Amino acid sequence: MRQHAGAMNRTWLVILGILALAGGVLILLAASGTLHAMSPATVAAESPVVTGDLHTVFGPASVTAIVLVAGVLMGSLGLLWILAQIPRRNPADRYRLHQDPASGTTLCDASVLASAVENQINTLPGVVGSSALLRGTAMEPDLTMKVTVTNRADIQHVLHSINTRVIPDLSTALETPLRRTGIQLEVSGRNAIAGTTVDTTGTVIY
Amino acid sequence: MKTPAAPAGSRDLDSRGRTFLDRKVVEKIAGQVASEESFAGGSSGGFLGIGAHSDFSARPKVTVELAGNIAALSVEIGLLYPVPLRQVTEQLRRRISERVNALTGVEVRQIDITVSWLKPADETTGRRRLL
Repeated sequence: MRQHAGAMNRTWLVILGILALAGGVLILLAASGTLHAMSPATVAAESPVVTGDLHTVFGPASVTAIVLVAGVLMGSLGLLWILAQIPRRNPADRYRLHQDPASGTTLCDASVLASAVENQINTLPGVVGSSALLRGTAMEPDLTMKVTVTNRADIQHVLHSINTRVIPDLSTALETPLRRTGIQLEVSGRNAIAGTTVDTTGTVIY
Repeated sequence: MKTPAAPAGSRDLDSRGRTFLDRKVVEKIAGQVASEESFAGGSSGGFLGIGAHSDFSARPKVTVELAGNIAALSVEIGLLYPVPLRQVTEQLRRRISERVNALTGVEVRQIDITVSWLKPADETTGRRRLL
């Protein structure tokens, strides 16, 4: 039901990997003397890499400030990356269902549609409870469901009912096929209590 | 609000008096027109908006902004599930606009619709019913 920062992690790991690889290649070239052979301006393999007095380089206050700002910036980026690891629901807000806003807007909360889906799933035999979450846009909606069934429920029947009734009904309501659908099934020891009455006709005998 | 001018007759229009239409009249007419559609409903019961429940036989909540003879409506409505929301709201928009215009003479320029709940037609309230 929750989303993780997988794509961002992969992107940043690739960037950091490329930088680390470039640094490693540079060190190897410098250590083997190939770098000095290619460019005489660079240091030889046996001599120290850093020449000169570092105290004079870091002496001016401006350099200290630049190093400080760079450190704070890198620390902030790292902190943001850690915060991005917190799983998020990222639900859709409101679906805009109008074509011509000049004649009026049509808005429907994604939670309203999710409630309708939940109500429909809860009526299926063997279902104890459910929660639904809609993401994406009204034209490309994503539906994620968490369905809790009893330990004696016919799971194939529940899945079949969801695929043939629940999902098509939501597609009908939004007038577009769902882009992605996710179903998470859980089994519970609780009994499914529908708690609803049924309409019936017949003769009541006193 | 003044009603549309009648064709000029022999008598002076001002001498015949004026008809004022309250904003609430337009609101109630629009709500009634919306509730007449089988797929639309409103909320009923509750106290100060607390504890209200969805009801297909209730009138949807309508708010009207009048500027002269032109109105902009906001409708908060519950709909049958599943119905194609774009189609039915467009149908509802046309119906309200036509009926309000026919009954009051007010031109409806804009109808904003907010879907507040969706329910299947056969959903029971969970209470026992008297047969």
